[in-house]
Amino acid sequence: MANKLTFDAIVVGGGPAGTSAAITMARAGLQTILIERGRFAGAKNFFGGVLYTHALDAVLPDWQSRGPALERPVTDTGYWLLSPDSVLRFTQKSERFKKVPAESYTALRANFDPWFAQQAVDLGVLVITKTTVTGFLRDEKGRVIGVTTDRPDGDVYAPVVIIAEGVNNLLTQQLGLAKSDLPPRFVALSVKEYLGLPEKEVEARFGLSGPDEGVAIDVFGDATLGLPGTGFIYTDRAGISIGCGLLLEQLVINNLKPYEILARFKNHPIIKPYLEGAERLEYGAHLIPETGYDRMPTLYTDGVMVAGDAAGMVDALHREGTNLAMIAGKIAGETAVEAHKQRNFSAEFLKEYRRRLQDSFVLKDLKQYRRMTDFLDSTPHFMETYVNFANEAAYRYFTAHGMAKRDMEKEIIRLLTRRRSFLGVAVDMIKLLRGMRG
Amino acid sequence: MHTVVAIKQVPDTTNVRINPETGTLIREGVPAIINPYDLHAVELAVRLKERFGGKVTVITMGPPKAAEALIECVEQGADRCILITDRKFAAADTLATSYVLARAIEALQEEGPIDLYLFGLQAIDGDTAQVGPGVATRLNVPLITYALHIESIDPEARVAVVHRKTERGIEVLRTRLPALLTVLKEIAPVQRAPLANMIRAARYKPEVWSSTDPVAFDQAQIGIRGSPTVVGRAYTPAPRQAGDVIRVSELGLQECVRRALQNIQASGAIDLASIASAKRPTDGNGGEHS
Amino acid sequence: MTDEAAVKRIWVFIEQEEGRAHQVSWELMGAATKLSQELEGSRVEGVLLGYNVAHIAEEAYRYGASRVYLIDDPVLEKYRNLPYSIGASQLVQKYKPEIFLIGATTLGRDLGSSIATRVRTGLTADCTELAIDPNLKILAATRPTFGGNLMATILCRTHRPQMATVRPRVLPLPEPLPTATGELIREPLDLSEDDIPVQHVGFIPRTGGLNIEYADVIVAGGRGLGSPDGIKLLEELANLLGGVVGVSRPLVDAGWISYEHQVGQTGKTVRPKLYIAAGISGAVQHRVGMANSDFILAINTDPNAPIFQIASLGIVGDLYEVIPELINQVKAIHQGTERS
Ligand SMILES: Cc1cc2nc3c(=O)[nH]c(=O)nc-3n(C[C@H](O)[C@H](O)[C@H](O)COP(=O)(O)OP(=O)(O)OC[C@H]3O[C@@H](n4cnc5c(N)ncnc54)[C@H](O)[C@@H]3O)c2cc1C
Ligand SMILES: Cc1cc2nc3c(=O)[nH]c(=O)nc-3n(C[C@H](O)[C@H](O)[C@H](O)COP(=O)(O)OP(=O)(O)OC[C@H]3O[C@@H](n4cnc5c(N)ncnc54)[C@H](O)[C@@H]3O)c2cc1C
Ligand SMILES: Nc1ncnc2c1ncn2[C@@H]1O[C@H](COP(=O)(O)O)[C@@H](O)[C@H]1O
Repeated sequence: MANKLTFDAIVVGGGPAGTSAAITMARAGLQTILIERGRFAGAKNFFGGVLYTHALDAVLPDWQSRGPALERPVTDTGYWLLSPDSVLRFTQKSERFKKVPAESYTALRANFDPWFAQQAVDLGVLVITKTTVTGFLRDEKGRVIGVTTDRPDGDVYAPVVIIAEGVNNLLTQQLGLAKSDLPPRFVALSVKEYLGLPEKEVEARFGLSGPDEGVAIDVFGDATLGLPGTGFIYTDRAGISIGCGLLLEQLVINNLKPYEILARFKNHPIIKPYLEGAERLEYGAHLIPETGYDRMPTLYTDGVMVAGDAAGMVDALHREGTNLAMIAGKIAGETAVEAHKQRNFSAEFLKEYRRRLQDSFVLKDLKQYRRMTDFLDSTPHFMETYVNFANEAAYRYFTAHGMAKRDMEKEIIRLLTRRRSFLGVAVDMIKLLRGMRG
Repeated sequence: MHTVVAIKQVPDTTNVRINPETGTLIREGVPAIINPYDLHAVELAVRLKERFGGKVTVITMGPPKAAEALIECVEQGADRCILITDRKFAAADTLATSYVLARAIEALQEEGPIDLYLFGLQAIDGDTAQVGPGVATRLNVPLITYALHIESIDPEARVAVVHRKTERGIEVLRTRLPALLTVLKEIAPVQRAPLANMIRAARYKPEVWSSTDPVAFDQAQIGIRGSPTVVGRAYTPAPRQAGDVIRVSELGLQECVRRALQNIQASGAIDLASIASAKRPTDGNGGEHS
Repeated sequence: MTDEAAVKRIWVFIEQEEGRAHQVSWELMGAATKLSQELEGSRVEGVLLGYNVAHIAEEAYRYGASRVYLIDDPVLEKYRNLPYSIGASQLVQKYKPEIFLIGATTLGRDLGSSIATRVRTGLTADCTELAIDPNLKILAATRPTFGGNLMATILCRTHRPQMATVRPRVLPLPEPLPTATGELIREPLDLSEDDIPVQHVGFIPRTGGLNIEYADVIVAGGRGLGSPDGIKLLEELANLLGGVVGVSRPLVDAGWISYEHQVGQTGKTVRPKLYIAAGISGAVQHRVGMANSDFILAINTDPNAPIFQIASLGIVGDLYEVIPELINQVKAIHQGTERS
């Protein structure tokens, strides 16, 4: 073998977390190599999804002038409660959403990730694709001093490695930072299709006045057969992203195939007209970690930090993940830069990474919603019961039946209690509040 | 030993989608890859370099995006890559393409001797297999198409013995060097590139040649002007007329098979009664020669 | 007397090896005859290169050539690109044909482009259909592109000859006219062995001798066979019908059978009289290799399998029931004919 390949820092994974870490370090002058197993960064990555500009601002302040690969700003957003034949919509449209840049944008990862990685390249990061990191190089004291890859003569050395490998965190596990694969209770499986539709058609169907408006909707209830999970519909520039995600455990228990659920969702009488004539351009499945604050892996060890999905940094309730990943990546990068200044890469020093995360929204939010997954897991009927009830109640409310209003109100209460006892409703609400409050 | 390889970036035809209304290709979202045969040509060139020393130069004529394909060649071990790109080259057919590649190669010859030219058997977007023979003819170098294996090669004595696959078997051909080979995939299995190559490739920028610089191409022979053939019409193939579909579950097994044989007989395709005496169409010589 | 210079010559390259003509040459002769009916003042002629091959000209007349140009020379004994392309190009330059058709065999594909480059004209490769454009009165050569997903009709407006190669077995073989004769024109070739940079130093004949491209009957199986044992069943039926076994690609990938048997985009193009597709779903990559078969019998358990869209007759059923029954009934037919 020729010269030892040595860098100041190694990043594993070219998703939002890894690229943010690499950008942060390169800008501080560290010789950084980012290793990505896909054909290009983003080749197999995929999400709903919505990107948040606060995170882009933090990582790449001049992102707007770099021609970002985004689809539409989100100007109309909220929840749809879907019963088998109706929908109740809680969405907001506001003039406040119209500022530039918007708070959030829909995006396609196959476009966004390569753009983001290209910014890293432009800032001096060496991005190596089609190469999988397989393990770690250690010094005599067992400290990580580099990685091995699946290429001939593929060892790379650096005093610090940032792992941003995503939800299948094999490397994190290899280091013993995560116990094992997440149990099916704490992973959601999502399937999504990206459907092509002419720009004007997207706008007509969703009541948008042009490319500067877009919709992001989470759909509860019948989208996932009433099981714990969500459906989603986002408008892209010339297309629609539609998908749904369910806890893996629910899929197993109920012997469901995610594609069948999505097919059913797409055929729902309320949903179908939005999709008529659209052509499927892309589809795929991806896991979402619902690890929760209490089960998060250890975030650092000697010479290593873990960021993003690999560390379970997803706030499923608010469909936030990329922003947590980007901020965590940035903080890990900053910590690596500090470590270089101090020439100290020990776990003791890298603890600083976790401390800074604790000060940021990343760990604060994750802590607050620590019980959300448990709530859904222990209340599998929640979606079905309340979503269907809400639709039924609304139907009565909005139509005239020649019935006294007071009788109708009683009737509505009866509808609910027929589905779930008073006590049950009370317990559900308390659990929900706990899930939200942390 | 200096080998020049010509490669083409092509859409991955396994992902091709056709717009059913216009009958045109939807290129959007179709990943571009190196023509699979060309990958093996590059690999062979790199193996030869490992054996004899020397260098590997890769050229392509294509849109700016084709630089990606060249960078993949550096990953595989190519030393120098040239992207010949200019709007004026657009819509070239094989005659115009072979002109450009041959002219570019002549310019490279002026820099120093070249021992071998490698092309893929065919590009999977058009499947023409014409560019390699066209370039060999223009350069006036020996041509061996369907090259399967290099039995021996001697850059000093300037000869090689090459196996060429035909319908009937394998021809063993001795050729003078430099020669031009169009290769089958068997010529060299693609090996996984070492990491150092990946790093070199990540930093590599291909040379870019235009239609005037550094080579002045004859403008009458390039692009659409230099292409005698034009596409008159493109359309999705008409589906073959489907016949009846019968079900064993409805008609029963015997009746289905009886009808099938009856239909075959009635179509006149073959005569089931006389076929028993017919010979199998394989007589050691390959039955194609009557 | 026609004015020889004004004749629109439609040329067919007569491919031969070891003194035997390749069938594709006669398929092309048939196509050329049809084209000449659409093109006023045209005539079908053959081009024959080789050593001691004059006898093949007789055959060419029977398939429709009114004239054959022959270069008979020792350097042409075995095919090599240089002498063949120089010889053929000289003929083109001298006689200025309007159209020049060549079989898209390994030989024809090697040769065609070299000739086109020497005489600087256009060549359309691997055509599946030839016609005369009714308005322009020029060759409209249609070929599949992008892995058979799209058909393109290619024109060559200003350059002559208009050249095309055509895959074997795509066009029908015409009936020969036993009494037809024609004119043989011999031309010299001014090349010596020393001028030729490539020599034949050996030949390794293909073993197995299977040639599914030229089989009249193909019994083909796909992943629906479920196990390599299913191939034996196909063989039994194929033997009975005087045919050979074909397969879809997954079976070759799985190592159940050799590549020679693969039908499709990356396998062989076949055009048998009878193609039986058992347990084959009918992916486009498979269909492009067999959709020109005269009669397609599809057997599949899935009534929605795309193969049924191109089948002359489809049987929805288990191949492990249908094929044994086919074997029974074909045997019965054979016994019936033997008895009578
Ligand atoms: C259906 C769905 C919808 C979502 N919607 C949203 C949304 O609307 N908004 C939002 O903010 N978030 C959303 N998320 C979550 C978000 O996608 C993730 O939280 C985010 O992508 C995490 O980023 P990451 O960089 O940690 O991991 P990833 O994006 O998964 O990137 C990991 C990268 O590492 C590479 N890699 C892995 N292992 C190796 C290895 N050994 N060697 C080299 N490379 C390796 C992978 O190829 C990949 O490129 C959604 C997720 C899903 C599945
Ligand atoms: C670049 C590229 C090139 C390719 N080239 C080729 C090629 O040259 N040739 C080729 O064939 N493919 C080719 N393919 C593969 C092609 O896309 C298909 O995957 C392949 O043809 C499918 O083979 P199949 O029909 O045998 O299998 P499947 O698609 O799995 O179909 C099996 C069928 O068997 C049926 N079946 C199952 N059990 C039974 C039973 N007991 N009785 C009756 N029916 C049964 C099923 O209903 C099903 O329809 C290529 C693919 C690519 C990407
Ligand atoms: N535009 C091009 N640039 C470089 N090489 C090409 C180009 N087109 C074709 N080739 C080469 O010629 C081979 C045959 O291509 P084709 O004749 O188009 O089937 C390819 O495998 C390449 O090696």
